Amino acid sequence: MKHLLPLLLFLPLSGCLDDDDLLEPLRESPVTVAFRAEYDEAPLAIQREAYAYPTGDSLKVLLFQYYVSDLELLPAGGGEAVRLADIDLIRWMSATEDATVERTYSVPAGSYRGLRFGLGVKPELNAIDPSEFAANYVLNENEFWGEQTRYVFAKIEANALLEADGRYDTGLSYHMGSDSLYTTVTFDRTFTVDGSGVPTLTVVADVLEALSGTGQTFDITDPQKQTVHGGNQAVATGIWNRLAGQFTLETE
Amino acid sequence: MNFAERIPMTRPAFLLGLFLLFLAIGCREEPGGSTVVDEGTITGPNTPTPYALEVPDYFPAPVVDPENPLSEEGIELGRHLFYDASIFSTEGNMSCATCHQQELAFTDGFGRAIGVRGEPGPRSAMSLVNLAFNPNGFNWDGGEGKLWEQAIHPVENMLELDNDWQEVIRKLREHGDYPARFRAAFGIDKVEEIDPELTVKALAQFERTIISADSKFDRVVYKNTDFFTELEQLGADSLFFVENVPPGTLHPGCGHCHNAPQFGDNKFHNNGITDVETINDFVDKGRGDITGNPFDNGKFRTPTLRNIALTAPYMHDGRFETLEEVIDDYAAGGHGVENEDPNITGFSLTEREKAALLAFLHTLTDEALLTDPRLSDPK
Ligand code: HEC
Ligand code: HEC
Repeated sequence: MKHLLPLLLFLPLSGCLDDDDLLEPLRESPVTVAFRAEYDEAPLAIQREAYAYPTGDSLKVLLFQYYVSDLELLPAGGGEAVRLADIDLIRWMSATEDATVERTYSVPAGSYRGLRFGLGVKPELNAIDPSEFAANYVLNENEFWGEQTRYVFAKIEANALLEADGRYDTGLSYHMGSDSLYTTVTFDRTFTVDGSGVPTLTVVADVLEALSGTGQTFDITDPQKQTVHGGNQAVATGIWNRLAGQFTLETE
Repeated sequence: MNFAERIPMTRPAFLLGLFLLFLAIGCREEPGGSTVVDEGTITGPNTPTPYALEVPDYFPAPVVDPENPLSEEGIELGRHLFYDASIFSTEGNMSCATCHQQELAFTDGFGRAIGVRGEPGPRSAMSLVNLAFNPNGFNWDGGEGKLWEQAIHPVENMLELDNDWQEVIRKLREHGDYPARFRAAFGIDKVEEIDPELTVKALAQFERTIISADSKFDRVVYKNTDFFTELEQLGADSLFFVENVPPGTLHPGCGHCHNAPQFGDNKFHNNGITDVETINDFVDKGRGDITGNPFDNGKFRTPTLRNIALTAPYMHDGRFETLEEVIDDYAAGGHGVENEDPNITGFSLTEREKAALLAFLHTLTDEALLTDPRLSDPK
């Protein structure tokens, strides 16, 4: 079972080889998928920035991360989706990091009609223990609650200033995930990959919109709502749904 | 997937230092000419036997280091070096094992490690178990990217081993036994090829074999050959791990950063133990000294809690003598410093719960490790 990882990496490749048009080698061109984190529509600054929150308080974000599964491009002709990654962890945790992280992939040249990914760890991977992978793989024990509750799909952590004492000393820690929360995010957007320049698709996620959006504000001042972990996801369901619903795509 | 952390600021300086070091040592021997080279020829076996780490199936696969593949001979050489005080210290009274003693899970029992001059250094000696599973840099601040690079430093650092690499290499080359061991481990032909890099690579090979995976916790949870007491079970299920944290409760939450099976996430956190006015006031800036980023000040790498009952005193500077003190400090919930980890919330425990958490921590002791003959002094 220790060989599962190489196998997983190999599967998508061998999948491509099964294509009918095997005799016509596909021309591959680079495409960049970028992930940008924001807070209230400005690039997210971990630690550095004190952000206003709709309850009248303010907070500093220390961590924002989420898994994406089955990151895929959808060909315009309606053929098989082009798999870019089976699983990836998108994470911001340091004040020196840029708000945008980029990955470049090689895909068949052609026209596409969209991009799709699963927010979280897809059920078939969520069922596999971290011990089946290498210690430095994206799925590892540090993002894993345990036997029953499995991987943490997304984390938002911040320190809030709730009293007028100038101290960011109330920890907010929302750890979310479970098979039933796994959500597919699809963007309909046409673009062409033809080798003339590298098209960039930017997936934007806004931390504020996950906490407070669509007319609802998560009450961070309520001590009952400052931490969510493990099997007790009820309190965070709203955050999860807003997170899954707020992604936008920019193309250039 | 952690971008900024990949390039510690000190890295270029370190590599340059290493390069100059190799250069300096290389130059020294050059003028000898061909006669010296002939005299330096080493004979004996020169084909290292590849070695695969024995990893239990409940552990992840180790992080591989293609620059330093393991061999039986390399590990054996590393083990000899690890324990050899005559090579590594001027007075012949100190080796790696002075501060990394097997019976203490490869720590030294001191709050801050005591150097050759009997003076404490700034930090506590770390346990050396399960290093093969750490993807995030070594030392408390993660400042050493590779395990083999890490060992350059204790030899140079006065407060650890007060010796100079040129002296160490001279002793190794002139030694009656080591040249043949270096040849067996790395296939070299000449004593001149013995250098700091091969020396630290051998040390790292030995260190990678120090795997601790046979504690009571492992026997209960993974091997099903033992049982927790009621108290230990309480400590595990409702206090240490975070699968079942009831909403709105203040919970010890140790599992956030110390999850099984390694019990240390190797990430950098301010776990709230230091009371400072601002993030610029930490005496030991820890990660901040590596990244140059003030928001990383006071952050340290979460170490493993395996064998924690044996490795007192605790924290990077050995500030806590006992595990009770550690728990009390976490219970107090930090000092409101802005970069404290949000999972350090403070909590209150009944006497029974505290006893349960302590009992659980004691299940992480691996008795077999302490006497494993493969890891002991070869002499
Ligand atoms: C005087 C005591 C002392 C001696 C001797 C010593 N060390 Fe250490 N060791 C320490 C201290 C203190 C640290 C923590 C250093 C830091 O964080 O700056 C450490 C850290 C380490 C680590 C990092 C472990 C981790 O999890 O990151 C390794 C590996 C290590 N030492 C190996 C060695 C080797 C190999 C030798 C012999 C060449 C050696 N040490 C000699 C005190 C010592
Ligand atoms: C936010 C992450 C985090 C949480 C939660 C956490 N720790 Fe730690 N722990 C750390 C870090 C980081 C260190 C190293 C800090 C230092 O040395 O300054 C550490 C160090 C320790 C040490 C000392 C280890 C050694 O080798 O000296 C012990 C013991 C410990 N933690 C126990 C616990 C217990 C028990 C809990 C639950 C009450 C807990 N930790 C919760 C991050 C955490």
